[in-house]
Amino acid sequence: MKRAVLAFLLTCTAIGVALEATSPLAAAQPQAQNLTQAAPRATQNTATVGAAAAVGAPQMPVDSAPAATPDAPLAGESETQVALPEPSSDAQDLYESARGDLLQIRMLLKNGRTQSTVGSGFLVGTSNLALTNYHVVSQMALDPAIYTAEYIDTDGNTGPVELMAVDVLHDLAVVRINRNGSGFFKVPEQPARLRQGQRLYSLGNPLDLGFAISEGAYNGVLTRSFYDRLIFSGPINSGMSGGPSVTASGNVAGINVSRRRDGESVSFLVPVKYAQELLRKVAEQAAPPGDFNPLIGKQLLAHQAGMVDKLLEEPLTLKGMGQYLVPVRESGEVRCWGRSNARGAVYSTDSMSCVMQSAVFVSDTQQTGNVAMTHQYIRSGTMDPMRFAALASDNFQVNNLGSTGDPRLTKPFCTERFVHTRSLPMRAVTCVRAYRKFEGLYNFTLLTASLDASQSSLQSRLDVSGVSYENGMRVTRAYLGAFGRSGRR
Amino acid sequence: MSAQTPVPASALLRGPWTVETLARNGEVLHRHRVAALPIRMGRAYDNDFIVDDDYAAAHHALVEAGEDGKLRLRDLGSRNGIVHRGRRVKDVLAIDGETVVRMGHTTLRIRGPAHQVAPELVDRTMHGWEGMLPGGAGIVLAVLAALLVAWLTDASNDPERYAQFPAAAAGVGLVWSGLWAFGNRLFGRRARLGRHLFIYGSALTALVGVRLLASVAAYAWSLEWLTGYASHAAVVTIAVAVYFHLATVTPQYRRRLRLACALLAILASSLILGGNMQRHGRTADELYMPVLLPPELRASPDLPVADYMNQVGAMKQEIDAERAGQ
Repeated sequence: MKRAVLAFLLTCTAIGVALEATSPLAAAQPQAQNLTQAAPRATQNTATVGAAAAVGAPQMPVDSAPAATPDAPLAGESETQVALPEPSSDAQDLYESARGDLLQIRMLLKNGRTQSTVGSGFLVGTSNLALTNYHVVSQMALDPAIYTAEYIDTDGNTGPVELMAVDVLHDLAVVRINRNGSGFFKVPEQPARLRQGQRLYSLGNPLDLGFAISEGAYNGVLTRSFYDRLIFSGPINSGMSGGPSVTASGNVAGINVSRRRDGESVSFLVPVKYAQELLRKVAEQAAPPGDFNPLIGKQLLAHQAGMVDKLLEEPLTLKGMGQYLVPVRESGEVRCWGRSNARGAVYSTDSMSCVMQSAVFVSDTQQTGNVAMTHQYIRSGTMDPMRFAALASDNFQVNNLGSTGDPRLTKPFCTERFVHTRSLPMRAVTCVRAYRKFEGLYNFTLLTASLDASQSSLQSRLDVSGVSYENGMRVTRAYLGAFGRSGRR
Repeated sequence: MSAQTPVPASALLRGPWTVETLARNGEVLHRHRVAALPIRMGRAYDNDFIVDDDYAAAHHALVEAGEDGKLRLRDLGSRNGIVHRGRRVKDVLAIDGETVVRMGHTTLRIRGPAHQVAPELVDRTMHGWEGMLPGGAGIVLAVLAALLVAWLTDASNDPERYAQFPAAAAGVGLVWSGLWAFGNRLFGRRARLGRHLFIYGSALTALVGVRLLASVAAYAWSLEWLTGYASHAAVVTIAVAVYFHLATVTPQYRRRLRLACALLAILASSLILGGNMQRHGRTADELYMPVLLPPELRASPDLPVADYMNQVGAMKQEIDAERAGQ
C-alpha cells in the first residue's frame, strides 16, 4: 500500500514536472464554463454594492455589458481582497491608473463571431500598439481565414485587432488597435534592474471573469527554460496571458505567460527585453506580413538549430542501468527523473526519463522544439527466455506514433533494422513525421531494444520534435551510437 | 436419356414407375411406386398417386404412354394447371426421367425402372473418427494451445490464468462446435459434434502456431512483413477451418464450399488491408515489428550505426513526397 502510494506520488511528480513544465495560459474557455464560474461572483457583487440594479455581470457578452459601472468591479476587488492576507492601497492606485490601457483580446471565429480563446494585452506607451502573448493570438496567426480578433477594454469598448508581429519562441505578439494608450505602461529602452523579492503587479482578465490585478514578488530568472523566463511568485490565471506585470511605477517588467499547474502561485513572465526587440522590429517593417506561417516556420527552424547545437555541444552523458550504459543529457533545461516498479518476484522495471523543460507553443494542439529520452531496464531472474521475450515484445510495442489524417503532421515513416553499437547489438526503429504547415521541420522518434541477453532488456525511446532532418539525424545518431555495455552485471 | 438408348419403345414403357416429390433444391422428399400406366394424379382418393396439396385439383393430371415410347402428362382441366420450366402446359407434355413439373405447390418427376443412376461415390469418410475420439482430441488441442498462450503471456506468476485460459478455450469451442453440430443435424443427418470439436481444436492450435512461427521467422531472418501481415495468415486459417466445418455438414458440395471460403477469405483480407490503409495510411497491421526474442533465435546480421543512419536519411525523400502530396 505504502509502495503504491509512493509510486503514485512519484508518477504524478514526474509526469507533472516533466511534461507540463509550463502550461500556457491560453484561455480556451467555453462560454458555458465561464458562466458557471462567473455566477457566484455576480451575486457577490450585487450583495456588496447594494445597488443591484446597476450591475451588469462583467463577463456577459460584449453587447450587453457596456453598462458595467466603474464601481462594480472595484467593489468586487475589495471583496476578493478581503480574503487576501495583505490589503494594499498601492494595488488600488495602480489599477486605477492602469485600467485605461488594459485590454482583453478575444479570438473570434469568423463565422458567427463567437470567441474561441481569450487573453489579455496592454497598450504600450502612447502608441496604438499593444503587446500580448503569441499563444493568445496563435489561431489568428495560423488560420487567418477562420479566426479574427477583437479587443475589449475596461470600459467595455470593443474594436478590431490587427496582428503586426509574432515571436513564437518567446511567446510574444504585437497587435495594433484603433486607439492610443495613455502612456501608463512604459516599455523601457533599458530594462530596469529587478531585485529578488521586489513587488510586482500583474494585470489581466483571469478566466474571463473581469479585469483584475494581483500582487506578487519577482523571484529571479528561470534557468530550466530554453529561453529566459522571470519567476513571478503570485497568482496568474488563464486569461491573464499577455497582460503586463509592472513595478509600482508602471515600468513593465514582463508579460504574463504561464504558471506551474502543480505549484501554488508559481508563475512565469516573458522578460520585457524581448518585447522591446519585437517592438523595434514592428517599427522597422513597412507592413505586417500577409501570412505568418512561413515566418513562424522560420522562427521554429532557428529554435531547433540552437536547441540541437546546445544539446550536442558536448557528448551525451553515459549512465549505468544494469549491464548497460545509456545516454542521457542532464542540464538546466533537461531534467531527468527515475522510477522503479518491481512487480513481485517475476520481473522488475527501472525507468529513467529526461525531458526538456520547455517546449515552443505553436497551437493549442501542437507544441514543438522539445527533446525527451526515456530508458526502461526490464529484467527477470526466473522467467523462461520465451516468456521473457513475450513480455519484452509487449513492452516494445508503441501505438501512439501517429496515423494518417492528422492535419498537423504526415503519417510516420519508419526504418527498422538490427544494428550494433561499439559493444551492444540492438533493434532500432526510427520513425519520422513531417510538419504539414512548416516546411523543413520533422518529428523524430527512435525506439531501441537491446538484443544481447535473454532475461534482460533495455528499451529506450528518443523523441525530438520540430527539428530539421539533418538535426534529427544528428541527435538520433549521437543517441543511438552512445549505447553500450558496461563490464558489470 | 431414353431418346438415345436403342431399346424398343414397348420395353421403355414397362413399369413399375416411381413418382418422386421434390424439394425446391431438387432433393427427393417422398417416393411412390406405381405398377402400371396410366397413372392418375390428384387430391381425390381414387387416384394412383394422391397429391396432398390444396392447390391441386381432385383429378389433376394423368400420365399415359405416348406413341414414340415416351410418357405423356395430360392436364385434366385443373384450374392451376401443370407448369414446366415456368410455363403452363397446354393440354399434353412429353416427359422423361429428368422432366420436373409443378402441380400447384407440388414439384415432381416420374422415373421408370431403366433410369440410369450416378455411380456410387468413393467413401473417404473415416468412420472411426467420429464421436468421443475426435471430440476429446479437439478439446485437448484447444486446452494445450490456451495453456501455451497463458504461459507465454504470463508476467505475474498468476496461477488463476492457467485455469481461465483453458476454460475459455474449451467453453468457446463447445459453443462454436455446438452451433455447427446443430447445423449439421439440420442439414445433414447427424450432429457430428466430435468432428466439429476436432476442427475447432486444430484451428486454434494452427492460429497460435502460425502466429508463433511468423514471429520467430520474422525475427530470425529480419522478415518484418511476416508479422506486419500476420492477420492474413489468421484469416486463411479461419477460412480453412470454416471450410472443414461446412464440408462436414454437406460433403457433397466440396468444390463449391472451397470457392465460397476462398472468396470469404479474400473479402476479409481486403477489408483488413483497406481498414489499415484508411486508419494508418499503410497496408500492414503494424508500423514496425515489435517482436523481441532471445539472442539465439536471431540469424540475420546487424548493421553499424552509420549504415543504419544512411537508411534513415534515405527516408527523407519519401516523407517530403508525402508532405507535398497533401
